Amino acid sequence: MTLELFRIDDRLIHGQVVVGWGQPCALGFLVLVDDEVAGSEWEQELYRMGVPPEMDVYFDSVAGAARRLEGYRADRRTGMLLTGDIGTMRRLVAAAPGIRAVMVGGIHHKPGREARLRYVFLTADEEDQLRALAADGVAVTAQDVPQAAALPLEELLRGDGTG
Amino acid sequence: MTAPAIARPPADALALPWRVRAAMLVRMLGIQGAWNYETMMGNGVAFALEPALRLLPGGKGGDRYRRAMARHSGYFNAHPYLAALAVGALARAELDGVPEAQIDRFRVAAPGPLGSVGDRLVWAGWVPFCSAVALLAFGLGATPWGVVLLFLAAYNVLHIGLRVWGLHAGWTHGLRMAQALANPVLREGPAHVARATAFVAGIALPVAAQGIIGPGRAVLGGVLAAVSAGAVLVTVLHGRIEGWRLATLVLAAFVLYTMVR
Repeated sequence: MTLELFRIDDRLIHGQVVVGWGQPCALGFLVLVDDEVAGSEWEQELYRMGVPPEMDVYFDSVAGAARRLEGYRADRRTGMLLTGDIGTMRRLVAAAPGIRAVMVGGIHHKPGREARLRYVFLTADEEDQLRALAADGVAVTAQDVPQAAALPLEELLRGDGTG
Repeated sequence: MTAPAIARPPADALALPWRVRAAMLVRMLGIQGAWNYETMMGNGVAFALEPALRLLPGGKGGDRYRRAMARHSGYFNAHPYLAALAVGALARAELDGVPEAQIDRFRVAAPGPLGSVGDRLVWAGWVPFCSAVALLAFGLGATPWGVVLLFLAAYNVLHIGLRVWGLHAGWTHGLRMAQALANPVLREGPAHVARATAFVAGIALPVAAQGIIGPGRAVLGGVLAAVSAGAVLVTVLHGRIEGWRLATLVLAAFVLYTMVR
């Protein structure tokens, strides 16, 4: 087992991650990559309380995660890496080659975003960033929980918010 | 980059009048009443906070009141019961005059951990436990109404308890809410509840099957074998199929069986 899942989710650590993915995939650790959270002790303390005692959570900046990615991959437990937005994941992919698949787990409504799925709202710029990720050879899918089918990027971008 | 630390709430802060607390508690029962995919329970959070926001300088309709209502009506997605912690913490932060930027950052960071803790404790822990207890009561001969009332009573002990405790703990700790989430019931509780559920369900399933079939009938052995096979199947399929799909499949198989026998 290793760091297997790379997820974009603006809620970062929450029930779908810890229960929805954590239990069936037997996740042993989470890597939360966010430059602001990496420098904020109170936010780290809050997120740490969101994971069960038997699961580890590591906080890293994009630069730090890129340096330590091989170490995370060498971990014998199954792990998930989380970023809160597409831009952070793109920077990580650029800084740490070898990330071959990324799932969009949840990007929620903000002014300017259009609904693509019930759990994915995107601006035109964010859609372009996802296309750029795919053009770099990363398989981009949308999937909120393991029981749901992973939707390919083209299907995600064709969505009207009802799927 | 280092974010500013959160200050401890002042000890001499304004007390939250009991009438305001009661109004907030009652409103929290409807926290998902205006749930939608855009703001999730944001409207409900603002609705529950509103009685406390009337205490802001300028009162109801004042500038701070309006800004706070607009802020708290935005996207917020947490567990509906543990959202009480956030409501208490946000009420404290608003009335203590915590900078708006810090409150905004808290509103982004708090929902995930609250959802995670609530999902583990309530949806994945307490609901199956209460269901197993109700099933056991049925197997032991309780009336249908007795079973329903037992389930509702057991379920709501935690449900109402979490909301009351959450509002109080959130108000006490303010934005340092992580201290409240460190409560052993929240940290260690789900593991204990899971073990208790497995124990009670292990007794309840055969007892309930016997209660339905009646003692001494040959079919009892077959039913218990089918229940055991079903338990193995559920364990193998765990995380690969949604519960409602599995329930529909079982129901369809049962209907098919009754038609062909």
